[in-house]
Amino acid sequence: MGWIDTAWPMVGATSLTLGIIYLLIWLRQRSQYGYLWFFVTAASVAVFSLFELRMMRAAAPDDYAVTLRWAHVPVFVLFLSIVGFIRLYFRTGRLWLGYAACGLRAVSLVLNFRTGVNINFEQVTAMTAVPAWGGESVHLPVGVPNPYAIVAQLSNLLLIAFVTEASIALWRRGDASARRRAAVVGGSMFLCLVAASALAILLNRGLVRIPTAVSVAFLGVVVAMAYELGWGVLAAAGLSARLRVSEDRLRESEHRLELAASAGELGLWEWSVAADEIWTTREGRALFGYDAHERVDLKRFLSSIHPDDRAAVEQDVRAALSKGGSDFEQDFRIVLPDGRLRWVSSRGRIDRDESGAATLMRGVTHDVTGRRQAEERFRTLVEAAPSAMLVVDTEGMITLANARAVTMFGYARQELLGRPVEMLIPGRVRSTHEAHRQAYREEWRPRAMGSGRELFAVRKDGTELPVEVGLNPMQTFEGRFVLASVVDVTERKRSELETARQRDEMAHLARVAMLGELSGSLAHELNQPLAAILSNAQAAQRFLAREPPELERVTEILADIVKSDKRAGEVITRLRSLLKKEEPQHRPLDMNELVQEVLALMRSDLLNRQIGVRTQLAPRLPAVSGDRVQLQQVLLNLLINGCDAMSGRVAQGDVIVRSESAAGRGVRISVSDNGGGIPPADLERIFEPFVTTKAQGLGLGLAVCRSIVRSHNGRLWAANNAGGGATLTVELPAADRLLPSI
Amino acid sequence: MRPTIYLVDDDPDVLVATQRLLVSAGMTVAAFQSARTFLEHYDTATPGCLVLDLAMPEVTGPELQRTLAQRDAPLPIVFLTGRGDIRACAQAMKDGAVDFLAKPVDDADLLNAVNHALAKAAVLQRERTTRSRTESALARLTVREHQVLVHVVAGRLNKQIAADLGTGEKTVKYHRGNLMRKLGVRSVAQLVRLVQHAGVGAPGADN
Repeated sequence: MGWIDTAWPMVGATSLTLGIIYLLIWLRQRSQYGYLWFFVTAASVAVFSLFELRMMRAAAPDDYAVTLRWAHVPVFVLFLSIVGFIRLYFRTGRLWLGYAACGLRAVSLVLNFRTGVNINFEQVTAMTAVPAWGGESVHLPVGVPNPYAIVAQLSNLLLIAFVTEASIALWRRGDASARRRAAVVGGSMFLCLVAASALAILLNRGLVRIPTAVSVAFLGVVVAMAYELGWGVLAAAGLSARLRVSEDRLRESEHRLELAASAGELGLWEWSVAADEIWTTREGRALFGYDAHERVDLKRFLSSIHPDDRAAVEQDVRAALSKGGSDFEQDFRIVLPDGRLRWVSSRGRIDRDESGAATLMRGVTHDVTGRRQAEERFRTLVEAAPSAMLVVDTEGMITLANARAVTMFGYARQELLGRPVEMLIPGRVRSTHEAHRQAYREEWRPRAMGSGRELFAVRKDGTELPVEVGLNPMQTFEGRFVLASVVDVTERKRSELETARQRDEMAHLARVAMLGELSGSLAHELNQPLAAILSNAQAAQRFLAREPPELERVTEILADIVKSDKRAGEVITRLRSLLKKEEPQHRPLDMNELVQEVLALMRSDLLNRQIGVRTQLAPRLPAVSGDRVQLQQVLLNLLINGCDAMSGRVAQGDVIVRSESAAGRGVRISVSDNGGGIPPADLERIFEPFVTTKAQGLGLGLAVCRSIVRSHNGRLWAANNAGGGATLTVELPAADRLLPSI
Repeated sequence: MRPTIYLVDDDPDVLVATQRLLVSAGMTVAAFQSARTFLEHYDTATPGCLVLDLAMPEVTGPELQRTLAQRDAPLPIVFLTGRGDIRACAQAMKDGAVDFLAKPVDDADLLNAVNHALAKAAVLQRERTTRSRTESALARLTVREHQVLVHVVAGRLNKQIAADLGTGEKTVKYHRGNLMRKLGVRSVAQLVRLVQHAGVGAPGADN
């Protein structure tokens, strides 16, 4: 046994040992394929070294040729593993170069078995013994070189080029550690590969006669690779030290988390997807009603979910597991073993491996039954409310609508949810509503919407309905909302209108009746101008019949006829306006003017009854907004009442009509008579319908007067005078106070 | 002396128109807008009639009618009224109104009524003259003549009168002749009518 027989197996053993170490490492860390590549490299070098030893000991040319032929198999494997290793560790390198090197080497392997005795020799003719160091000798071949050897050499060159290019790329790309790796690993690999290739060529050509030490050069490659891997192991060691520290910390924080979780009644859980095992904390088990030692898997988990929610939860879990799936988040009900229901909210996050497949899902579940019950109660209350209820978020989107809202607006619930609330506002005020809604965000307190204004909503079919809306802010954990309750006031408006219509009707009837009482007087009022016209006309006829006709007088007479005619026309107009049945029209009115008009209407009646009327009218009264005819009716009524109270008695003084502006209250008109007064018990009763102190009359006058005055937002009351008689007073708000407030 | 038509109406339009109508018929008209101003200007010596509105403030038509009656004014009244008030009409007629017309009044009706009133006014005026002449004649009779007058008008014979007065028949005859001459009558019938017209009744009958 010479040193060569010792050295070459040692090369192989060394290489194999290193390989096996990393093979073992790989077996522990399956994902680290670099270790496997290294093992393959090292093993192929070891195998090759044995072939090489045999070649050096081969006595017969055939023996040598066959051995060399088979020695190319580990070389091919070596090629593949080097390319794989470089790609994996340098994470760079031109793939096409690697593929080309491996491809050519594969071609050369084929040629190795198909041409000559191997890729190197066409024929090995003889073996020569060559002396080596230390008195050893080795056998070297003598033969005809195989012309295809060039293919193998080319593949060597490509491999060298691949390694070189990858090393340069790594050098250029990286930080200090990358450069070190490029220099040490890339450099030594380059040198060893060059050495191995050169040695092979020289030996095959018979240019040098030394032992075939290609495997030694390959060993250099293996060592360089081991150096690279060593860095990884060292880094892993450092990492594990750090990991230990962080593990401690993790355990600590886990502990804290568990404490927090148990305090917050949170159930922590973790689901190993591959093993299909769900681990949960004690609280988690209690939450779901699992036994302390029961094995929980996905099936068991799903079985504890309420049947109605199960499918949705399962679907969400699958969705989260799938590649690119997001976190799991779901509220659902679970059925406890005793049959009770519990609402829980669960959130989970997925851990994935490199390929993106889910490995682990961990998360937290907590009991939201209380919140859900409150929500349910709220929902039930809202649903059962007789008015339409809408919950609107700060963006104006409807987030909840109750059954009444659906029937009121004619939209299906789905058509309302998530849509802007403005869809329920008539188009003409939609933009202002948005502004109001913005303003309400600042104000943020319960109030009625659009106070003092008529509000309308619009249905799906475009029809409008009058509504009243109450707004209530809601602060929830999901943010701010507004609860709007909408009441359809169509019926109320209709009955209000009906009441108003009946009041106007009644007022008209009372007016007509009252004018009936005044008819004699009114006829007289009309008669006066007619009498003047007739006399004037007949006088004119006579003046015209004279010789010569007195035309000057006739002109004068005609002017007077026109004047009288107009006067008659005015009486008729006034009468007609009082008799006409019209919708009340509110306009600014001068109450003094109204007093004068009414007195003019009554002039003849007053004359006839021998009753004097004195007026004390305050100048510059504020205007009153009202219906001229209705307010005239009130004044007429009060005057007639006053006169009625005076007649039948020896005339003592006059009826007095006063007007004054009531401080801050508008205008006050009072009618005082000097009659018998009103029994104190009747001061209020006289305003009731069918209560009358007169022999004739229905007793509607004052009742109608009061309803008219009330419809003008005013007051009407009676009081007895200190010196006898009674005073009836009307108080009406000044026009500016009636302007709609915005 | 031309008679004057007095016109009182509180409505100025009607007042002016009525005035024009009467003027166009050639009458002399004095128009007043109230009873008070009329009374301030009216002179009983001026002959004429009054066209009066019924309903007026302050002093009404009927009130003015009563005032004039108290003053024994020879002024027949034609009432004009805007309203057909039967009670007021009856009362006015009872109190001596000539006519009661409703406004608007036709010119013929008004002029008729006014002419009628003027005619009555003329009669009144004449009677008034006669009466004042009779009254002054009666005032010239002696007490004895006045006593005899009363008995004669009562239809008693001279013999009966002499017995009543305690005197002779011749004396009665003498007084009788005197008073007939003084009063300007020729027969007992004339005497009786005169005394009746003068409204003397039976002067001294109670004596």
